[in-house]
Amino acid sequence: MNDNPIISWKIAGVALGLLLTLATYLVSPLGVSTQFVVTDAIVLHKVAPAVAESNTYLAKYGVEQDWGVGYGWMLIFGMIVGGGVTALIFRDKQPEGDKGSMPAMWTAKFGPSEGKRYAASFFGGLLLLFGARLAGGCTSGHMISGISQLAVSSMIFGVVTFAVAILVAKLIYNNQVKIS
Amino acid sequence: MMTLIIGFLIGCAFGAILFLGGASSYRKILGTLLLRDMSIIKLMMTAIGVGTLGIYLLDQGGLAHMSIKPAYIWGIVAGGAIFGTGWAISGYCPGTCLVGSAEGKFDAIATLIGGLVGALIFAWAFPMLDELLLQNADFGKITIQGLFGINGLYLAVPFSFAMLFAAFFLLKDRYE
Repeated sequence: MNDNPIISWKIAGVALGLLLTLATYLVSPLGVSTQFVVTDAIVLHKVAPAVAESNTYLAKYGVEQDWGVGYGWMLIFGMIVGGGVTALIFRDKQPEGDKGSMPAMWTAKFGPSEGKRYAASFFGGLLLLFGARLAGGCTSGHMISGISQLAVSSMIFGVVTFAVAILVAKLIYNNQVKIS
Repeated sequence: MMTLIIGFLIGCAFGAILFLGGASSYRKILGTLLLRDMSIIKLMMTAIGVGTLGIYLLDQGGLAHMSIKPAYIWGIVAGGAIFGTGWAISGYCPGTCLVGSAEGKFDAIATLIGGLVGALIFAWAFPMLDELLLQNADFGKITIQGLFGINGLYLAVPFSFAMLFAAFFLLKDRYE
């Protein structure tokens, strides 16, 4: 059973670098985390317009901005479609260990409770986007796009993020669980 | 309209690359963070190596639509630390949780929903954080070559080769 990803990191890395170059040439570099706020703003403008307009951060993406649905939002919409379609086509080739909602190394450490895994994922996601908005970008906008533009802010973000993430991962797994 | 279509198509390719390269896998992300299976960090460094060279070659012809993020030190450091914690806990980043959700992984969908809530909490806290962390120590949209006052390509070429060299020759997997 082949345990490697469908394409190697070399091919994926070169492809992503070329895609970033193309995006920067045509419109602007890649970014994801801003669109979570845009999506929040769209929903909040529909259900509670007064609340959305009273917030200085969310009001930036109102009706006069076409709800903020531009290049960036279409990009994350494309990621869902492109990722989903590719997953459908290549499902058989995906390594077993990369499938499903309950990673083997997680269950080995925290047991088979799905609730526990989803609660941790929810909390992790909450921290991810709070942190990304505070720093002004995420893995795509800061690390991949930002460092490729030699931006000082993105280099700091990359170093701090990796240092803390490695530390937390080590704390979670106590260096004991094998990758399987 | 054309910009929207381009955005959609670039997004499709981005999502496909992340899925095919295994970046939407908890096992792969934690493998890199535990410094055992380095494929994801090598993927990222290769992308940065190629991207840096590509962007700064474009820039020589004035063809790069760059977008440099401002360096407000406290916000970046605090945000990076919070982001890193969430990354290690969920095993996804904002982009890969979209792809994982599209694959039908429920933990990715939980991360996505958590992310929408986290972004909303940030929007509420924004006025307070703005004064505390975003306005202080803001050095603006600075780049490394800007600090040295030289043509970006002189830095981009060695930086790009350093990234590719590290990814291809220095970083090694460490299975135990």
